[in-house]
Amino acid sequence: MKALCGEGINDVRVQDVPDPQLLNDQDMILKVRLSTVCGSDLHLLTGHIPFMQAGDVIGHEFMGEVVEVGPGVTKHRPGDRVVVCSFIVCGRCWYCRNELYSLCDNTNTNPAITQHLWGSDPGGIFGYSHAMGGFRGSHAEYVRVPFADHTAFQIPEAVDDMSALFASDSGPTGWMGADLGGVQRGDVVAVWGAGAVGQMAARAAQLLGAERVIVIDRFDYRLRQAELAFGVETINYANDQVGDALLETTGGRGPDVCIEAVGCEAHSTGPQYVYDQVKSKLKLEMDRPIAVREAIYNCRKGGSVFVLGVFTGVVDMFPLGALMNKGLTVRGAQQHGQRYIPMLLDRIASGELVTDHLATHVMPLSEGARGYELFKKKEDDCLRSVFRF
Amino acid sequence: MNTAGKAAVTAGVVAAYAVVRRRRAAAVQPSDRWPVVTVSRAPEEVRASLPEDLAHLHGQVEFQVRPATGDKGTELVAKASGDVPRHELRLAPRRMKAVLEAGEVVRPDVAPTHPGPMGKALQLVTSRAGGGGRL
Ligand SMILES: NC(=O)c1ccc[n+]([C@@H]2O[C@H](COP(=O)([O-])OP(=O)(O)OC[C@H]3O[C@@H](n4cnc5c(N)ncnc54)[C@H](O)[C@@H]3O)[C@@H](O)[C@H]2O)c1
Ligand SMILES: [Zn+2]
Ligand SMILES: [Zn+2]
Repeated sequence: MKALCGEGINDVRVQDVPDPQLLNDQDMILKVRLSTVCGSDLHLLTGHIPFMQAGDVIGHEFMGEVVEVGPGVTKHRPGDRVVVCSFIVCGRCWYCRNELYSLCDNTNTNPAITQHLWGSDPGGIFGYSHAMGGFRGSHAEYVRVPFADHTAFQIPEAVDDMSALFASDSGPTGWMGADLGGVQRGDVVAVWGAGAVGQMAARAAQLLGAERVIVIDRFDYRLRQAELAFGVETINYANDQVGDALLETTGGRGPDVCIEAVGCEAHSTGPQYVYDQVKSKLKLEMDRPIAVREAIYNCRKGGSVFVLGVFTGVVDMFPLGALMNKGLTVRGAQQHGQRYIPMLLDRIASGELVTDHLATHVMPLSEGARGYELFKKKEDDCLRSVFRF
Repeated sequence: MNTAGKAAVTAGVVAAYAVVRRRRAAAVQPSDRWPVVTVSRAPEEVRASLPEDLAHLHGQVEFQVRPATGDKGTELVAKASGDVPRHELRLAPRRMKAVLEAGEVVRPDVAPTHPGPMGKALQLVTSRAGGGGRL
């Protein structure tokens, strides 16, 4: 079959790879219909998560049709239309039972790597390096879905393929940021990053009762999209002072909840960008936490900061003083998708949550390299490239 | 590949080698801490499935079962009484936990056909990573 593979730093190519097989009783095989790029792939392809092999199939946000199920699968049948969570989970370990699904104990086939890096191993992800299980990704005609009963979800009739696609990863990630960030009725919520994840976090904050939601980015087309889709307020940090703008908007308090949806390759117009670039080139720092620093600095006293952006290692100039003295709660997580996906599909069906506008560039897999190029460079007003099979 | 990219990949492989090195260096000493996992099942259920799941280690490893704190289930400790490689000692309880909790041990997907030199180095690590690590 054809699949889009990572072949080296910023080098993706369509290759012929063997069809996936059922390897476990609880596996199923999915014929992929739609699979989208994600900001996390960019961190992978730039080498920030250096546990890839040439020829690894990438992609983890997808939906499709079930074609084969193992004897241990009870919820799905061939022909079913399902959306698959980017995290593979067993559904029965202590973490899964406590709805902390991305921390599943039983799905990372290479636990040693992340145990050494982080102290313990999170669960496995599709197409996200050998540190996260070495599972093949979804930019392929077919994909094996382990623990299918817990990893995949039936799509209701009323939800079209494209809308359902974003219930796989960006939708639940954004929802988690607002939910576990503790958004309350009447809150002011600031979201750094107007990508799919940031936009979904902004919408979740509204639906959870936030009174004002402010989205921050430097790309006007992305900010405009968020304004149009959800009626949020925006700040373009390239021509405005984020701190001053937030203070003014919040009556001098700062946002109650700050959601960071940027990640380890954040950009900045200030001198700290150069500082972080030099340090990361010299390997003195692995990630650039520019938006995290800004969120912590600008959050109101006693407020909460949720880190959705992916980070892999150590950072410096972390504002621990602000965190401690302002009494902040700082939390982060890979997405606990299984906790939110059915609810998100219902909200999409009812029209409350719109997601299909995120797919700005729909193309066949053969144009995969171009899709990543557009997305990486934010060209042609690209929000997400989606591969249709 | 640009310089930053090469540096990143090299850092990854160095980290990966560190995983292997640590594993090799870790000969089982009497004073070593034993690997232990927590199984989200009751102690009786864990005890009941011990003999069949771990028959191949009979006589070489002593398994101890004790209740975990709170609602966490059961702690399963693996102590070597014979000459068991550390890798085996770690792998056995982890696999048993997966079977008890999830019904099976998830198998990795087939590796790429042309992993490249860095990928080959990584394969060296991942071929053992199921039994490596801190647990
Ligand atoms: N926690 C999870 O489970 C999870 C899941 C999916 C994605 N992610 C992460 O979420 C992040 C966003 O993903 P995405 O798909 O939306 O990516 P994206 O690249 O489309 O969007 C990121 C946005 O951040 C903006 N940005 C960069 N620097 C900024 C700064 N200093 N301040 C404000 N905005 C800034 C960029 O201009 C861009 O619009 C990534 O780090 C990704 O890895 C996490
Ligand atoms: Zn993602
Ligand atoms: Zn689990």
